[in-house]
Amino acid sequence: MNHQPFEEWLLDDKPLNPIERRELDLHLRTCARCASLAEVGLTLRSAPVVSPAAGFTLRFQERLAAQKIAERRRRLWGLMVLLIAGSGLLAWLLVPYILAFASAPIEWMTAGIGYFLFLLTSFQAMTEATAVLLRLAVNFIPPYAWMALASALAGLGLLWTISIWQFSRTAQGVSA
Amino acid sequence: MNEEQTWALEAQRGSDEAFTKLVETYQTPVFNLCYRMLGEPELAEDAAQETFLRAYQHLHRYDQKRPFATWLLSIAAHYCIDKLRRRKFSIFSMDEEDEDGNPFEIADLDSPNPEAEAMKGQTRARVQAMLEDLDPTDRAAIIMRYWYDYSEIEIAESLRLTVSAVKSRLHRSRKALAGMWQEEETRVRAERRTYESPAF
Repeated sequence: MNHQPFEEWLLDDKPLNPIERRELDLHLRTCARCASLAEVGLTLRSAPVVSPAAGFTLRFQERLAAQKIAERRRRLWGLMVLLIAGSGLLAWLLVPYILAFASAPIEWMTAGIGYFLFLLTSFQAMTEATAVLLRLAVNFIPPYAWMALASALAGLGLLWTISIWQFSRTAQGVSA
Repeated sequence: MNEEQTWALEAQRGSDEAFTKLVETYQTPVFNLCYRMLGEPELAEDAAQETFLRAYQHLHRYDQKRPFATWLLSIAAHYCIDKLRRRKFSIFSMDEEDEDGNPFEIADLDSPNPEAEAMKGQTRARVQAMLEDLDPTDRAAIIMRYWYDYSEIEIAESLRLTVSAVKSRLHRSRKALAGMWQEEETRVRAERRTYESPAF
């Protein structure tokens, strides 16, 4: 038996004109397959909407409150574990130095001041060297090379901005 | 902007009161979807509660341009699909069934016509049993189409499918359901014939 176009009409829930309606009715009287299709469509459409038991919102509020408490407790425990572990690690790393410092404090202080002065003078020397190099570079590097460098940096900046924007776009349809 | 979207916006800004209004408004559609997907009221209650909890936690991801109901039902459908896929691997079925494997359906005995109510109950049970034979995603598509009047585009957005995939899933499921319906009709008719007395 030819089920077309009736099967297509039924599957697509096509709105029918009176002639099509009559043709479909005639077909449904002789075709059990299409009749089942129509009957299933009607049954699905007339199936009732089931409601939850009374007090759903209250039960949700209780569940949400419990979830919030559990979340807060979890965060607090996480923070405490992190603090204890961090303190332990720091103590383990510092104990040899503290012991050494306690045994000869003057020598340690002298060495510390010396190291600080070394860092300071090194930084000053590096700053002066960079300034001299930049002054020389301005004369040696042609203007188009500067332009290319500036464009490359701008391009990188743009790429970075686009990536951040793409990652931070809001996602829809949470499946969690 | 409609009332629901205003509540959603307020909830996004941290108003628990606005979210409660959303729960009150959408509890039935969400519960119904979960019930039709999972087939058991207890599981549906748990799934509906979990849906609202997830919506609350991911409220910042809700896009005001989309209807709130579509977003919410999408969460519910995905949750139920995951649950069904996990349940597939469990050994024991927790469904309450009679000796023939049909789910229990209690007729409303206080109604004026208990016989008609029982018939209705049987049809409802039959629809539910047939739905349970469908693939979880197909089932979600059918529920969205026939209980919520969702268009193919809305179903595609909710289930993260293409429109053509939704169309073919709907067609396939409707045909499968019709096949099951026809088989059941044949079985019922044969049973009736067996019990009928030859004297009549």
